[in-house]
Amino acid sequence: MIVDDLSRRELAERLSDGGLRLRTGPVVNRIQSRLPSVLDGIALHYADHVVEDRGAFADFHVRIAPPTNARRWIAPQVRFLFDGASPFLPLPANQAFAMLEWGLNWCVSSHCHQFLIVHSASVAKAGQALLLPGHPGSGKSTLCAGLVSRGWRLLSDELTLLELATGRVVPLPRPISLKNASIDAVRRFAPEARLSAVVHDTAKGSVAHMKPPTESVHQAADTAQARWIVFPQYQSAAPARLHPLSRARTFIHLADHAFNYDVHARKGFELLAQVVSDADCFAFEYGVLREATALFDHLASRA
Amino acid sequence: MSLSPALRWRSVPIEALVLREWDGEIVVRNERSGSTHLLGPLASQVLKVLAAADRPLTSAEVEDRLAATGSSPGTAVEVAAVLSEFGRLGLAEPAAAA
Repeated sequence: MIVDDLSRRELAERLSDGGLRLRTGPVVNRIQSRLPSVLDGIALHYADHVVEDRGAFADFHVRIAPPTNARRWIAPQVRFLFDGASPFLPLPANQAFAMLEWGLNWCVSSHCHQFLIVHSASVAKAGQALLLPGHPGSGKSTLCAGLVSRGWRLLSDELTLLELATGRVVPLPRPISLKNASIDAVRRFAPEARLSAVVHDTAKGSVAHMKPPTESVHQAADTAQARWIVFPQYQSAAPARLHPLSRARTFIHLADHAFNYDVHARKGFELLAQVVSDADCFAFEYGVLREATALFDHLASRA
Repeated sequence: MSLSPALRWRSVPIEALVLREWDGEIVVRNERSGSTHLLGPLASQVLKVLAAADRPLTSAEVEDRLAATGSSPGTAVEVAAVLSEFGRLGLAEPAAAA
């Protein structure tokens, strides 16, 4: 069963009662919320995702709920609860779905140490993955959204999971988080993309999410080989250009972008070394999304 | 910091280092500190010389061995700076004079 198979009432019941057991890649999230905006966000962005049975094991038990104080009525807020505890400060209620997304990212990056987790978008073509590690503002999510709009498979927008035994990328296809100017850039580039309403004045500025492509969700069990590692940097009006990056420097940058490199000690070193050895590595500047996607299409066509 | 030319250096035990080399650059993990470092071509060569040596070496001896291997030896100042940095990072340590 997938989310789209549930009526709005059934989805609301699952969310408000025992919880919706939503599979996202290798993990199952038990999500509880009575907030309409959370229901709407899940109905839109997770329409193609598998819903596990009511009693199924869940890796993460999360809830988005209002605080139990007077703020319920005055400038209402929401909290993200993990196993009943609240690891973050509350946010304005209109950020409820965004908070769920950020919270689910935190669940994975803080707990899924069966993977080496890199702060990176990743997409794939013909089973070969393009990793796009980057700091906020680097343009990685914009590029990721542009590429999946042009037929690349979404592996992950935010958290690239590397399988410890093989170094292969384990898909975690979830909504793509777009911020500020990238929202309109993606709307212009891919008018068919399904974006949520924009939420303004978050800690990250204005935020909207883009629904992951159906095919990417269907292929969530298919791992991919890391073929290219590219550190993007958006610069207004800059021509799309790849600059070869040495593998040693790529290793260090990738380790810097990993959430749990230190957790894995020597194994993490050896895994990153293997991934870097098998990939072509670049720094990348771009200022026009169309040019950028065309360049990567060309790169993939030569592989 | 100015270091005595007579100071002898030895690398940490080779089993405490995990290395990968690509195109003359080395990435090394120091198992003692848990830190990972990127070494440029000269530092990579210096680490190899120290790791292969059967006794602690002075900066001048490191230079000689670099020259003997046909590596670009670097200036005395550069080699001394690399050794000093190795000391700071825990990749090498001064040894008592022989």
